[in-house]
Amino acid sequence: MSETLQYIGLGIMSVLNGPELFSIFGIGVPVAIVMLMGGLLTGIAVGATPGLAGPMAMAISLPLLISAFGFTPDALLPVFAFLIGIMKGATLGGAVPAILFNLPGTPDAMMTTLDGHPMAQNGQPKRALRIAQLSSVSGDTFSDIVLFVCAPFLAVIVERYLDLPEKTALLILSISFIAAVMGASVGKGLLSVSLGLIAAFIASGSDLSPRLTMGIPALREGFSLTAAVLGVLIVGEILSTLEELWRNKHALKVKDVENRGAIDGLQRGDIRRIVPYIGRGAVVGTMIGALPGVGSTLAATLSYTLARRRHRAITASEDPQFGTGVPEGIAATEAANSAVSGANLIPVLSLGIPGNAAAVFLILAADSIGGFNPGPAVFTFTENEINPQLVTAFGIFTLMALGNLLNWTVGGSFMRAMGVLAKIPAHYLLPVVLLVAMTAIYFQETSMFAIWTTLGFGVFGFFMRKMQVPVLPFVIAYILAGPIERSAREAFSASGADPWFLFKSPISVAFLVLSLAAPVFLSRGGKKPS
Amino acid sequence: MRRINQNMALGAVIVALALFALFAWVPNDTVSGFVESKRGRLSIGDAMAPGIAFGLMALSGLILLLEARKGDMPGALEQRTFAFLLVALTACAVSFGVMIWAGPLAVAVFGGEGDTYRNLRDTAPWKHIGFVLGGTGLVTTLIALVEKRVTSNAVMIGLAAALALVGVFDLAFDNLLLPPNGDQ
Repeated sequence: MSETLQYIGLGIMSVLNGPELFSIFGIGVPVAIVMLMGGLLTGIAVGATPGLAGPMAMAISLPLLISAFGFTPDALLPVFAFLIGIMKGATLGGAVPAILFNLPGTPDAMMTTLDGHPMAQNGQPKRALRIAQLSSVSGDTFSDIVLFVCAPFLAVIVERYLDLPEKTALLILSISFIAAVMGASVGKGLLSVSLGLIAAFIASGSDLSPRLTMGIPALREGFSLTAAVLGVLIVGEILSTLEELWRNKHALKVKDVENRGAIDGLQRGDIRRIVPYIGRGAVVGTMIGALPGVGSTLAATLSYTLARRRHRAITASEDPQFGTGVPEGIAATEAANSAVSGANLIPVLSLGIPGNAAAVFLILAADSIGGFNPGPAVFTFTENEINPQLVTAFGIFTLMALGNLLNWTVGGSFMRAMGVLAKIPAHYLLPVVLLVAMTAIYFQETSMFAIWTTLGFGVFGFFMRKMQVPVLPFVIAYILAGPIERSAREAFSASGADPWFLFKSPISVAFLVLSLAAPVFLSRGGKKPS
Repeated sequence: MRRINQNMALGAVIVALALFALFAWVPNDTVSGFVESKRGRLSIGDAMAPGIAFGLMALSGLILLLEARKGDMPGALEQRTFAFLLVALTACAVSFGVMIWAGPLAVAVFGGEGDTYRNLRDTAPWKHIGFVLGGTGLVTTLIALVEKRVTSNAVMIGLAAALALVGVFDLAFDNLLLPPNGDQ
């Protein structure tokens, strides 16, 4: 227990005692706090802008941050601070255009339009935004607390009970689950996973001569991870949205709400009304968020449906119902979709398995900078010597707690000021974002080949979107391909070249059975939303 | 009906490509096989992981064929999609081409005797010419593509974006090289 408290203290101090950027009245302001604040405000602005999204801002800022802070372990916390700030801010900002203009800034804010926009149309936009902020930050805070408690325990259990074959089987289960739950069909999910694995296996391996290069010299180093991820996730999205706008320029156009003279702002009794709905939404979002690949849209939809049923049961038929602008509807969706973001980091930090796009960029940051490898080994509590990875992990927890504090305080007023961003036409913004993304990738790779590679993966991501093949399983499989192969090679060697090494322990067999069961049983529902 | 056919075609192509890779590409483009023996010890070879991945790809193609037979699946390509992509990619390729060649061309035409772009790639204004022209072109052409006409707004936004990036990154960070100066 004492070493746990010692590590928590070291984690907090690593943030607060980090390098100072400047001082106010003689008190030094650590660079990590400034970066967190910068990321949070950027995230809120990006979330409030239709056509942009948190992962897009994370993708563009990552190469720039790495160029600015370098590849030393000292860069980890400032870079993580900015990325975590974006992640938290974008979740909050996504509600702004959903409420004000019936246009979700982020996909998970879709359900917020159902009651948020009617409330704004009824002349109470500030009330709707305030309820969204309270619910979103409450949900996020709850899931962060679950993350702080669960991630270390899960990691310790994995380290204690799982050996190499079980860890290999667990990684296989994670990509099988992601293939099963994401995308329009299991076939398309599996296709995305297999393509991600194949792309990652090009020019990797243990032989001196790199594999699958087709003799092309440019492929001898393989694809840059950043170029592949940015291309598929960001450039593909930009091309896809531009094509949508090319077909219909007004697809993302906003309409102002009329002010009908109603009393605006939070009303007496609002908080008492929404607290139970926030609580249920936060639990639903956290549970769904802990599963890799299951998005916040599902959490918001499920929470909204449960809340509507509950509301209908306890109110009279003449009372305003869901869909007409009731605070409970906004609270249920915002608490749930925000609770997903913290819980999504449980598999990342404890197992090294990314579950959503934001987690992908955190892993990418750790991978690029070095000195921190998300996975069970992070949570090794040592007595005699300090485990720097564990200090970084508690530093990340500290940053998340501070991010919530900032969201509670300055986040609300900044969020309410961001409504104006929704009016910037997306077809002006997206080409600029493309230029910034390409410039950012060049800063990291210093090669035009990286730009062409990113564009190539962007075209690939564009076609995947058009065919409704989910892109996230591709990226997650790309990241997990190396660890799966490495783990399997080590397990095979350790077993004395036993071809049945994956079937020797009951836990490993259980994971493999679940890997087969996931696509079979999760495909029974037929069509799933992408 | 067209969507079902497209998804069936996708499934068939995926199966065919996966089988080709499994029987032709992987065996011919990996040094070790599925399992290799080194000094009497067996270990997993470099062909194992890609082999399994292409096996999964073939399986996904078969599932797609089955799913397409069962009913309509979302996701389809139209001719207009290809038309958009062709124009957008041409705009990107030309803009990046301008980015690469405008600087060396400017040095060749306006530079002093014996000057090469390689020697001047860290000297203003030469180092900015390619990025500003190419970046402005990229933003302008993509905006014009969506608006279906070239407007002064589009040019101004493109120029402002390129100049802002020069201002923020080239002037603030000594160690960052704007494209294409790292390659020259």
